[in-house]
Amino acid sequence: MKRNFKFGGTTLLVSFLLLTACNASSEEAGQDMSDYPEKDINGIIQWGEGGATDNISRTLAPLVEDELGASMVMQNIEGATGATGAQYVYDQPAEGYDLLFGAENPNLYQVLGISERDYLTDFEPITIIGQSYAGIVVREGSDFETLEDLIDYSVENPGDITMGTSGEGGLPHVASAMLQAELDTEFNQVPYDGDGPLATALLGNEIDATILAVSAAQEYVEAGDFRMLSVIHDERLDSTPDTPAITEKYPEFEQYLPWGPFQGVFAHTDTPDEIINELTQSFENAQEHEEFQETLENLGVHPLNINGEEAIEYLEQNRSTSSWMLYDAGAAENSPEEFDIPRVDQQ
Amino acid sequence: MDILQQFLIPFLDVELFLLVAAGTFAGIFIGAIPGLSVTMAVALLLPLTYSWEMLPALALMLGVYFGGVFGGSRAAILVNIPGAPSNVATSLDGYPLTQRGEARTALTLTTIFSFIGGLFGVIVLATAAPLVSTIAIQFGQIDYFLLAILGLLLIGSLSQGSVAKGIFAAGAGIILGLVGMDSIGGGTRFTFGSLQLMNGIDFVVAILGLFGMAEILYQLKTLNEKGQTITLKKMIVPPLRLVFKFLPLSLRVNVMGVLIGALPGAGGEIAALLSYDHAKRTVKKPNRPFGQGAYAGVIAPEAGNSSAIGGALIPLLTLGIPGDAVTAIFIGALFIHGLQPGPLLMEQSGDLFWVMVGSSVLANVFLLIFGLLIVSIFIRVVTVPKQILLPIIAVITVIGAYAMNNNMTDVYWLLGFGLVGFFMKVHNFSVAPLVLGLILGPLIDESFRRAYMAAQGTPEFLMGFVNSPISLILTLALVFTLFSQTTWYERFKRKLKER
Repeated sequence: MKRNFKFGGTTLLVSFLLLTACNASSEEAGQDMSDYPEKDINGIIQWGEGGATDNISRTLAPLVEDELGASMVMQNIEGATGATGAQYVYDQPAEGYDLLFGAENPNLYQVLGISERDYLTDFEPITIIGQSYAGIVVREGSDFETLEDLIDYSVENPGDITMGTSGEGGLPHVASAMLQAELDTEFNQVPYDGDGPLATALLGNEIDATILAVSAAQEYVEAGDFRMLSVIHDERLDSTPDTPAITEKYPEFEQYLPWGPFQGVFAHTDTPDEIINELTQSFENAQEHEEFQETLENLGVHPLNINGEEAIEYLEQNRSTSSWMLYDAGAAENSPEEFDIPRVDQQ
Repeated sequence: MDILQQFLIPFLDVELFLLVAAGTFAGIFIGAIPGLSVTMAVALLLPLTYSWEMLPALALMLGVYFGGVFGGSRAAILVNIPGAPSNVATSLDGYPLTQRGEARTALTLTTIFSFIGGLFGVIVLATAAPLVSTIAIQFGQIDYFLLAILGLLLIGSLSQGSVAKGIFAAGAGIILGLVGMDSIGGGTRFTFGSLQLMNGIDFVVAILGLFGMAEILYQLKTLNEKGQTITLKKMIVPPLRLVFKFLPLSLRVNVMGVLIGALPGAGGEIAALLSYDHAKRTVKKPNRPFGQGAYAGVIAPEAGNSSAIGGALIPLLTLGIPGDAVTAIFIGALFIHGLQPGPLLMEQSGDLFWVMVGSSVLANVFLLIFGLLIVSIFIRVVTVPKQILLPIIAVITVIGAYAMNNNMTDVYWLLGFGLVGFFMKVHNFSVAPLVLGLILGPLIDESFRRAYMAAQGTPEFLMGFVNSPISLILTLALVFTLFSQTTWYERFKRKLKER
């Protein structure tokens, strides 16, 4: 192994020299930022092939290529709920040639103790592409006809209802924390490996309820397998007009909404403003293509296409809600206070 | 008639026909190269689906899928490096066959039985998909736990030589499998604060190291010894006598393969390992002891992993739930084309289902043709001098390990496992149990804890072992397997005979 490290050291040294050489040349070019981009841009997708983040990123990339006039080389660097990919982009030079195509997860890395990286401190949002909505689902034929049934039962019989989650910081985990904080519910949470296994577990009668992306759940609702009790949003969704919004019965949730999983593109926080602007503009235009909008619709993602201050506000709101919810429910490793994350109602 | 028409589309449409052929052909070679996985190949094809029509893209991907799973056995048999986790068991008897000059028999036999297995899986997909998916859904966490424990009992089958050493290796594998982020509690194990370790150890990398790198190092040790010259018999079709002899065995493991393939939490690698074990237990008089070149030892795992493909497609097409890593990518492809993979897929786009079935049948036919025809090309690998072959394999495995997750850490793991594997070989530890531990450890860990968490208390949890038909069968199988190893059972059997 020792030899390996030496070998690693040499490669590191060589690549370092090469990097410095690159730096020197790009600094010269740096005088004239209009040259950006002068080489291929690496797009790092923090989730695996075939997932929602991957699909969105890979459909968007060729459209951005046309806008920017440079090639985008997309790769998936997954692992540690996306932290490996985020760290990779953070470690590259802040020259706008390495972009992170990420989901909501980095907003929770700090409080969950997964990684030091965080969207708001370490990255600059280029765009927030869109967000999905969460729906609370039970099996068709379950005794819980409405959300109130489920909530009341879980308040009266703490820990009796088995709630499937997708692990630490996942959608059902945070949403359950939200219900617990506001309504004093208590679920017996069992973590599964993502949406597919969760749907399987609910179909197979292993869990009583779970929280899925509305688009994913809807298929099973239409097939008569699941019943969607509520969507976690402040109004009914166009795609599911019969499912009540959570605020209809529990208006106290209004302060946390809109909340849900999202996808966005991020650059290292030290990237020069000119480059950020160029990227922001290109990504904004690219998202307007009809073809891309169709992809979003297929995936059940509500388009946002926001950037700049608006994107930062969106990220702050999402981070505050999720981190404090988890912390209050006793599920966070670190207090959001340590990272100066304000509570939602204090904003 | 509609169904037949849709089924025949891939056979009649020139474009689809050629794409399936090209996909299968490419898949065989990609699968045969250690480190280039089917998952990777299909993932690389995924971007094609953005600009292509859906059916051509799916036809190509299906071809690569079937070809790739089959291709993995080529490297396992010829150079003792499984192309994928599902070919680990194949190498146990495949490589000894090559060393005995019977590479051609092994290659052609596995081709025939991969074809039969693949076809069997597709037939089940076409005729009984809803039934199988109902069973797959009923398979609870406790059943996964039982299945994994049954799998763990394979240590005895997989360790060549000392069983004690096998148990030691499997234990080490289980511990290595624990490294990383725990998907249930979110805590980290043995990561020492390193982000790189948080991903855990990809067992594909472990296989590349333990089999690939270790084999290279081991061969270096004997590089200057004069190797035996291997005479290669010429034949295209294996002795039909053998095909007929092993047909019943292959059908039994095919059934097992389809069912395990259809489980969302278990795939071809477990199917292949269980199939190998099944062969070892049921084939009474193998041509040679298992581990030294038994025909049944290469046939069973390949028949099992091929039929698992059809199985993996079942939950994908009936429920929108992937049966393995490759079908997860298919889901992405369907989404991109505006389809919602879910329980309504077959109702809403039934034509898609039958075209996919048709393409799969076609892929298997091509697999048979190409598989038999290019045996002569593959077999030359054996005649390449080691001084040329080994460096090439070394480079390929390193690239493969890196390309898996675009992560340099995997390359370090590869080299580390290479060294470990080398010393294990030198000291007569078999490495297969270590891989078994790596694959099953996390499954045992997670399924046990989920089952326990979902149960309200210990009594209910214990009842879970017997209160569903699937759990009951698995529990009985487990108890019987353990009991059959005791002296009581031997005595009991003797008594039965005396009567």
